[in-house]
Amino acid sequence: MSFDLLILMMFAGAFLAYLISKSNSEAGGISTVVISLISLVLLLLGKSQVGNEFAILYMTFKVTTIGWYFSAVMILVYSMTSFFNSYWMKQMLYPNAYNFLYLFSLAGTVGLFFAADLVTLFIFWEMVVWSSTFIVPLGKSRRAAVVYYTISSIGSMATLYAIMLLHAKSGTFIISEAFAWLATDPTMATIVFFIFILAGLTKIGIFPFHIWLPLAHGSAPHTFSPVLSGGLVKMGAFIAYMSVGVLPAYQAFSGSLKIMGMPIQIYLLMVLGAISIVLGTLMAIKQDDAKKLIAYSSVANGGYILIGILMMDQLSCAGSLMHLFNHAIASAAAFLTIAVVAHRTGTTKISELGGMIHRMPVTFTVYLISIISLAGIPPMGGFVSKWLIIQGLADKGLLFMALAAFFGSIGSFLYVFRPLAAVFLGQLAPKNYELEGATLMMKIPMVILSALIIFFGVFPRYILEVIGEIQSSIGITPIQLEGNAIQAINGLLNSYHVFVIFGFGFLISLAIFMLLQKSRKVGLMDTFTSAEFIHTPELYHYSHDFYAPFERLYKNHPSVENFLVNIANKFDELGQMVNALFFSHKPSITVFWITVVTAIIYLGGARI
Amino acid sequence: MMNPVLLIAIPLLLAFLSIILKHYKSQLLLLGSAVNMILIFGLQKGEYIIGGFKPPFGINLVLDDYAFISILVVNGLFLVINLMSFDKIDKLGTVLLVSLAGLNGMLLTGDLFNLFVFLEITSITAYILSSVSKKYQYSFNYLVLGTLGSGLYLFGLIILYSVFGSLNMADISKQMATANLNQMLIPTFLIFVGLAVEAKILPFNGWVKGVYGNANSLVGPLFASAYAGTMLFVFGRVFVQVLMVSSYLKVTLIIIGAVTLLAGEAAALSKTRIREILLYSSIGQSGLVVALFLSGLVFPAVLQIFNNIFSKAVMFTIGGKMADDTGTDEADELQGAFLKNKLAGLSFTVAAFSLIGLPLFYGFYSKINLLLGIFSLNNFWLPVVILLGTIIEGVYFIRLLVKLWTPGEEGHISTEEYATKFTIKIELAKVIGVVFLSAILIIAGILPGMVRNNLTESGQLLNEESPSYMFDLEGGI
Repeated sequence: MSFDLLILMMFAGAFLAYLISKSNSEAGGISTVVISLISLVLLLLGKSQVGNEFAILYMTFKVTTIGWYFSAVMILVYSMTSFFNSYWMKQMLYPNAYNFLYLFSLAGTVGLFFAADLVTLFIFWEMVVWSSTFIVPLGKSRRAAVVYYTISSIGSMATLYAIMLLHAKSGTFIISEAFAWLATDPTMATIVFFIFILAGLTKIGIFPFHIWLPLAHGSAPHTFSPVLSGGLVKMGAFIAYMSVGVLPAYQAFSGSLKIMGMPIQIYLLMVLGAISIVLGTLMAIKQDDAKKLIAYSSVANGGYILIGILMMDQLSCAGSLMHLFNHAIASAAAFLTIAVVAHRTGTTKISELGGMIHRMPVTFTVYLISIISLAGIPPMGGFVSKWLIIQGLADKGLLFMALAAFFGSIGSFLYVFRPLAAVFLGQLAPKNYELEGATLMMKIPMVILSALIIFFGVFPRYILEVIGEIQSSIGITPIQLEGNAIQAINGLLNSYHVFVIFGFGFLISLAIFMLLQKSRKVGLMDTFTSAEFIHTPELYHYSHDFYAPFERLYKNHPSVENFLVNIANKFDELGQMVNALFFSHKPSITVFWITVVTAIIYLGGARI
Repeated sequence: MMNPVLLIAIPLLLAFLSIILKHYKSQLLLLGSAVNMILIFGLQKGEYIIGGFKPPFGINLVLDDYAFISILVVNGLFLVINLMSFDKIDKLGTVLLVSLAGLNGMLLTGDLFNLFVFLEITSITAYILSSVSKKYQYSFNYLVLGTLGSGLYLFGLIILYSVFGSLNMADISKQMATANLNQMLIPTFLIFVGLAVEAKILPFNGWVKGVYGNANSLVGPLFASAYAGTMLFVFGRVFVQVLMVSSYLKVTLIIIGAVTLLAGEAAALSKTRIREILLYSSIGQSGLVVALFLSGLVFPAVLQIFNNIFSKAVMFTIGGKMADDTGTDEADELQGAFLKNKLAGLSFTVAAFSLIGLPLFYGFYSKINLLLGIFSLNNFWLPVVILLGTIIEGVYFIRLLVKLWTPGEEGHISTEEYATKFTIKIELAKVIGVVFLSAILIIAGILPGMVRNNLTESGQLLNEESPSYMFDLEGGI
């Protein structure tokens, strides 16, 4: 099926899901599964259509490998998450609208990735923004939706300005032509580069635009957080890719000041990426809410993706493009496991949970696999991609970036361990003794996602081949593969061998665990207090204030959030000032202003 | 072939009749506006001399493309709003008929003094309509400022008359071309102030807050769409076609427009009452349109007027209706008001999206056009102001919509129990009306080529330089 039909079908599917949900909301939830899975299959089968061009109304499209790759990631995340939709229909205030907007935003992203002209790109970008904005307030916070929209809108309006500026200068909206025109004009290229990429930065959640992620991901409906974190954030990576890959940034900036061998324009953004890694990691360690924790980890991972894409070289770029896939599925899987926990217990607070492994072992395993990938530990996919990014950074001698990347990797052990230890391991609270685990319908996507995480960790070449094609299409040396092994500067990485070695290690420790004596189980509130009565045993539980000593190290950190809130307040004050100055209920005030303005005009005119 | 003077004469005649036939006032009003709508389609473009004196000595009516689309839209909205809020018309039938005559007169006339007469007629009806809210202080405020404004307009006109010896628009325009524009500074500016009071340009618009902020579901949409649209169309006519503005004044006035846009949007951001948000947003939009007209971008300005008045008709109808039913329009007290009024809520949402300029809705098309227009003039600061305004506008509309759709406390899932305890019953006529208007915004957003073809059938509007960019099926973008 050609992709114009696919996009139209997906929009039609959104309306169909709405109609089905109107009669039966649970059936509507299932229809989102069917429609998104059909879209996924059709997309995967349509790989051969790369190079086709088509138009819908006034919008023009071109199928590219990068667009196909991003669409595949996006539809995969959406379709896997959609398995959960039907369970949440009863909680939703507007189940019909939820299903509609869910599929509508998915269709929007696919249109975005295939856009051939800048206006089409912007149209689909905004469609995704407004459709996803209205899903967020169905969850726990209305403010989150407004913050999400505000930050997105800052980015998209900046991008619109860049698009219009580019059109005014180059005379075309066609992406390839307009961006190619910039190669000869470094000043204009710098301006367009910085303004255009803003939409990407806001969407990925790069510092200082990261504040919407914990808010929106943390309080969106549980079925939408995986999509926000795993899927929609990747739209930003697409814009970043376009600003460096399609816009010939390195060519245009070849004459500009170099820092550590990188053009200053690109280096500045890499610094922002590095800050995001450090900040996301440190903030994630602090979180007591599991969803906010994963949201901050998305900030950190967004930093990796941005840095890698900005490198636009053989290794880091490939690593980054692979990492966005790995992060998408791992973070979606992690959010889904938290959704299962929230579905059964009604909370996502880490300190209120514990011992879920006894009640939901499959969910625990999925969480374990996903966080291993998020933290970049072999043999999962996250390892391969982070390894490639760090290889590229080391190769270029980008010391600070590499430091940030290492810091983020090690810090991620800390934050992914917190929910692992306090939500899934440990003792089960008495009220949770009768808890049920995930249903079959919930297990299917979680198991598929974890299988994918392991599969692409062991056989990364299936994804790196596609990435190699993307790299060739924009004229950089594609990543070199030898069978399962990846060719890099300091030798081969054969993840299959890594997997086998890790497998042996796992088997040995499993054997030790089975053979040795089992530990004695104690109750959750079995606290030794010298006969003193404890009113709040929760405070003595080990999951409370998990990393208190570490957190104390950066307790008084400055926050950009206050700064942004202050800016918003300034606009509010400006409004109040306008109101106080000009809008009284006394006509004399307006007469006064008419006099003042007339006098100014008269005096000004007299000087001519 | 119909004479466009009928558009003014028929409502006036019916207004006199309605005094005799007291009990059929609202029916006569509907009859008048419906007959006008039918007449419009029988009109032929051209110049019509009234009373047998040839211009510049006599009065003429000008029916060009610009006048045609403006009377079409204004009369159409007038009819739709009256149908929607039929129950509120009651004794206002006569006043509304007179105002319809006045509005059509302003849009059609080719004579600056005649324009003043119609401006006064329309203003007087507006004062009466504003007093429906029983907030007489605000009506008085409006009366004082409106009179001052039209007085200044007349003052400027007298100066022009003493210089050129003519009141005819075409004649003055011709003579202006050879005049020293710096000497025309004062009359031009006085006319600007006179129109700016009604067109809600800062700082001449102190009356708007009290009048729009308390308007009911009939008066609110009428003011915000039919009246506001007419004033902006007239502004465009006078400042693009008739008066030549010196570059000093032009820059100053564009800055006044830009400041109005930003200040209006910022003021709307700081408000929590629905109608106050809408009225400040209207002020911002007027500033934008004025800046566009003064930049010479007639086509984008007209698109933006359409966007504004269609959206505001929908939003003021619903906002006014909610205030009529509950006695308040504080957004906090009306949380989740759309829960039980989904269709009306959907129309409100579409209107707000269109006003923000989100894609798939008509407003996006007009936003792209106006940005293209401004960039083609090599003006790089005005788009920054407009886009900043768009961000602010988006924030307060999304905040309002989120509140009206999803009631709830922070930290808790949105459920019905947080919804407003007021019962809001939006009757069928209003629902049909707002759905009709918002459907136009969607269809025109998906198929913008349709709008373009209707707007520019016979060349450009008003002036030839006005760029009209388009995307359509044939030529791409």
